[in-house]
Amino acid sequence: MRTHLTRRSLIRGLTAATAVATLATGLAACGGDSDAATRTDDAAGTVTVGRLSNGAATETELKVSEVKSISALLPADIKKSGKLVIGSGTLPSGAPPLGFVGSDQKTLTGSEIDLARLVSAVLGLKPEVQRSTWENLFIGLDSGKVDVAFSNVTDTEERKQKYEFASYRKDDLAFEVKKDNTWNFDNNYENLAGKTVSVGNGTNQEKILLEWKAKLAKEGKKLTVKYFQETNSLYLALNSGKIDAYFGPSPNLSYHTTQTAKTPQATRIAGQFSGAGETLQGLIAATAKKDSGLAKPLAAAINHLIDNGQYAKWLKAWNLSGEAVAKSEVNPPGLPLTNS
Amino acid sequence: MSEPPGAAVSLTEAPPSATDAPSKPLAAQRVLPLRRPGRWIATAVVLVLAAQFVHGLVTNPFYQWDRFGYWFLRPTILDGLLVTLEVTAYSAVLGLLGGILLALARLSKSPVLRAVSWIYIWTFRSIPLIVILLFLYNFSALYQTLSVGVPFGPAFFTFDESRLATDIVVAVVGLSLNQAAYAAEAVRGGILSVDQGQHEAAAALGLPKGYQFRKVVFPQALRSITPNYVNQLIDLVKATSLVFYVSLLDLFGAAQTMGATYPGDIVPLLLVVTVWYLILTTVVSVVQFYVERYFARGATRTLPPTPLQKLRTAVSDLRDRVRREAAV
Amino acid sequence: MSTETLQIVPAAVEVHDVHKWYGSHRVLDGVDLTVRAGEVTVILGPSGSGKSTLLRVVNHLEKPEIGYVSVNGELIGVRKQGDHLKELSERAILAQRSNIGFVFQNFNLFPHLTVLENVAAAPVATGKLDRDEAHKLARELLDRVGLADKETAYPRQLSGGQQQRVAIARALALRPGVILFDEPTSALDPELVGEVLAVIKDLAKSGTTLVIVTHEIGFAREIADRVVFIDGGKIVEQGPPSEVLDKPRHERTRDFLSKVL
Repeated sequence: MRTHLTRRSLIRGLTAATAVATLATGLAACGGDSDAATRTDDAAGTVTVGRLSNGAATETELKVSEVKSISALLPADIKKSGKLVIGSGTLPSGAPPLGFVGSDQKTLTGSEIDLARLVSAVLGLKPEVQRSTWENLFIGLDSGKVDVAFSNVTDTEERKQKYEFASYRKDDLAFEVKKDNTWNFDNNYENLAGKTVSVGNGTNQEKILLEWKAKLAKEGKKLTVKYFQETNSLYLALNSGKIDAYFGPSPNLSYHTTQTAKTPQATRIAGQFSGAGETLQGLIAATAKKDSGLAKPLAAAINHLIDNGQYAKWLKAWNLSGEAVAKSEVNPPGLPLTNS
Repeated sequence: MSEPPGAAVSLTEAPPSATDAPSKPLAAQRVLPLRRPGRWIATAVVLVLAAQFVHGLVTNPFYQWDRFGYWFLRPTILDGLLVTLEVTAYSAVLGLLGGILLALARLSKSPVLRAVSWIYIWTFRSIPLIVILLFLYNFSALYQTLSVGVPFGPAFFTFDESRLATDIVVAVVGLSLNQAAYAAEAVRGGILSVDQGQHEAAAALGLPKGYQFRKVVFPQALRSITPNYVNQLIDLVKATSLVFYVSLLDLFGAAQTMGATYPGDIVPLLLVVTVWYLILTTVVSVVQFYVERYFARGATRTLPPTPLQKLRTAVSDLRDRVRREAAV
Repeated sequence: MSTETLQIVPAAVEVHDVHKWYGSHRVLDGVDLTVRAGEVTVILGPSGSGKSTLLRVVNHLEKPEIGYVSVNGELIGVRKQGDHLKELSERAILAQRSNIGFVFQNFNLFPHLTVLENVAAAPVATGKLDRDEAHKLARELLDRVGLADKETAYPRQLSGGQQQRVAIARALALRPGVILFDEPTSALDPELVGEVLAVIKDLAKSGTTLVIVTHEIGFAREIADRVVFIDGGKIVEQGPPSEVLDKPRHERTRDFLSKVL
C-alpha cells in the first residue's frame, strides 16, 4: 500500500511537470490502429493454419474446441480477461515462415502465430497478436504488455532466470551461403575459421557462434561475427559478399532459399546444427514471465494438440514436420549457462 | 592626367542613330562576352557522367524496375507512407510549439526557467532517438497510470497508460520530444537574430508583451527559423523510419516487412522507399521556398522570383537578346 | 480631413534628481528638468554626455537608480508606497508609454509590416481603436507627414527620410502628450534631413510637447523654447536659445558649440 501511494504521487508530479501527459492526452484521439493490432480468429471452433503463406505452407482447416480441464489450469486474471496476448518479435522485417506479413501484404501469419491460435482455441481464449521488435518482445513480457511469446524463442538456462517455458518444436539452426559458394559446415566448427558469419543479435544462435569463435581464437584462428539490425540488410550483405554465411533458424533459411531460388540472389543451405549445442537437442518454447503460471496450461494445450494429431497437421502444413517433438515439457533443460 | 584625345572624341561625338554606319563608334557596340571553354568542357563531362549513371540505373537488372513498378503504389506501402506523413506532421507541429516554449524559457529572465530549458535541450539532444522511443514504448512497464491533476495533490483524471499510449501516440511523443530540443535552438537563434531596436520600438509603443512577440518579434524571427527548421523537418521525415521500435510500420518499415516475405524484391523495395523520400523532400523544399518568400516580404526591397517568374524572365531576356542582335 | 482625431493634449514632464549608472560608470548624475506642456526642449551635449539616456529614462526604457520622472504629475515606471518608490508591473509601464511617443535614430520601423500597418499597430494592440478606426487615423497621419501615397509600401522600400517620417506618424498614432526624439536626423543622408525637420517643426507649431536630442544647432535655434546643455551626466546650463546658444555662460558649452558650429 505504501509503495502504491508513493508511486501515485510520483506519477502526479511527473504529469504536471512534463509535457508528456499533455501531448499524450491531446493525441489520444488520433491514434490509428497499426499492423500489430488485434487479429480476431476465424469462426468459432475452426482454426485455419497456413493462410496467406506466400507458398510456404498448405492451407489447412483444423477443428479445435476449448478443453475445460486444460483451461481450468489458467491463471485467474487471464481466464477472466478471456484473451491471450501473444507476442511476435518480428519487426521490422518478418521472419518467414515463423512470423511474417502474408501474401495479402497486411495480415500477420506464420507457423508460430498459427500454433498460438491453436493453443488459444484449446484454452478457450481469444488470441490477440502484438508485433514488436525482438528486444521489445522480452521487455513486453517483463512489463505485462504481452502474456506469452510464440516467436521462435529457444529455451535456455539463462532465460529461465526470468521466464518460464512450454516447449513445442525442435530448435534447428542452419548456415545459409550464396548458391555458388561451395563451403559446408559439415558439423565441425573448425570449418568456420577465416569466415565472416552473421547472426541475430541477442539470439541463442549468437551464443553458440560466439563460443565457437572463442574456441577458434584459442587455436589461433579467426572467425568474424557481424550483426545487422534486420534480415533484409543482412541478405544484401550476403549477396554482395560482405559476409560469407548467415547462421540462423533453419525454417527461416529454408524459406529464404526457396523464395530466392530463381532470382539473381539465390542461396543454399550449407549445414545444420541443434540449437542447444552438440550434446543436447535445442527446443523452441512458448515463453511467459516466470511464475506467471502460464507454462503449465500452455504445455497441456500443446500436448492435447499433439495427442489429437492436429500438432502434426500444423507442422505438415508449414513443411516443418522434421522439427516435431514427442511432447511439450514445462521448463525442459536448455542451452546451459556455460556451454563448454 | 589627360585622356587619349581620339577615344574621347569617338565616345562623345558618336551620333546615337548611327547604327548602320560602316565602322560603328565604340559606344554603340555590344560588349562581347568572354568565351569560357573550360566551363563548356566541364559541363560536357558532367553530362556524360550523368547520362552514364542514369543509363546504368535503368538497365542494370539488379534494380528490377518491373518490381519497382509493382510495389510503388501497393496499399501496404501507401499505408506505411500515411504513417510516415501522420507521424511527421504531428511531430513537426508539436515539436515546433515545444521548441518555441523552450526557446522562450531559454531567453527568459528567470534563471530557473533558463536552467530547465537548457537541461531539457541538452538531454534530448544527447539521447539517441531510438533510446527515447524504446523508453516511451515501455513506459507502461514503469508507470501503469497517468493522471492529470494538482501536482502532488488529488488527480482529476487517471489514464490507463497502456491504453492511452497507442503506438502512434508513443511515436509522436518521442519524435516531438526530440524535435522540440532541436527546434528550440532554431527558434532561439531566430529570436536573437531580430534587431534589438525592434524590441525597443515595440516596448516604446507600449505594445502588450504577447503582441510584441506574436506580431513583431516572431514573424521576423521566422525568416531565419524557417530554413533551419525545414532542415530539421527533412531529418524528421527520415527519422520516422525508426518507429518500428514502437511497433509502428512506416514507409520504410512496410518495405522492410515486405522484403522479408518477398526476399527477391528487397532491392526494388528499397528503391521504392528512396523515391518516396525524394518526393517528400521535394514537396517540403517547394513549401519552404514559398514560406521563405512570404516571410521575406519587407526584408528585401523586392521578393525573390518564383521558378515560374524566373522562367518567364529568362525567356523574355532571350527574346530581347535575339531582337537586339538582329538589330545590331 | 478631420483634425479632431489628431488632437493632442500636451503634457508636462518633470525629471527629478535622476541618477543612472552602467556598472561603475555614472551616466546621469542628478538631473533635474522641467518641461512645460506645449514646450519644445532641445537637449544638446557631446557624445557620451548622457543625453540619450536621459531621454530613455523619461519613457522608462532605462530605469533610473535614484530619482523619478513624472508626466502630467503621474510617476513613470514606479509608484509611491509610503516613503518608497516601487517598481510598476511591466504591463502598467507599457500602458504608461502610450502617452509618451518615442522616435529613434534608426527609425526601428517594423520591416515585415506595411507603412500603414506600422502606424496602425499600436492603437489596435493597446485596444484604443478598432482596426478600421486605426487605419483611418493612420491614413490621416501619413497624409500629415506627406506620405499618403506610401501606405502599402514596406519600410525598406522607402528612403531614410521617408522612414523617419513614418516613424513620427507611428509615434503620433497614440496621440501622446509628449514626443521624445533621439537624434532623429543623425542616420540620414544630408539631403534628407530637411524633410524630417520640417515635420518636427510642424509638430512644434501645433503645440505638442517635444523633447529633442539633436546636433542640429540651427534647427534648435529656430524651434526650441528652451535649450538644455548636458555634459558628464549633469545639466550644465539651460535657457532660451538666444541665451544658451548665443551667449553661453559656461566654458564647456562654449567649447561644445565651437566644435559643432
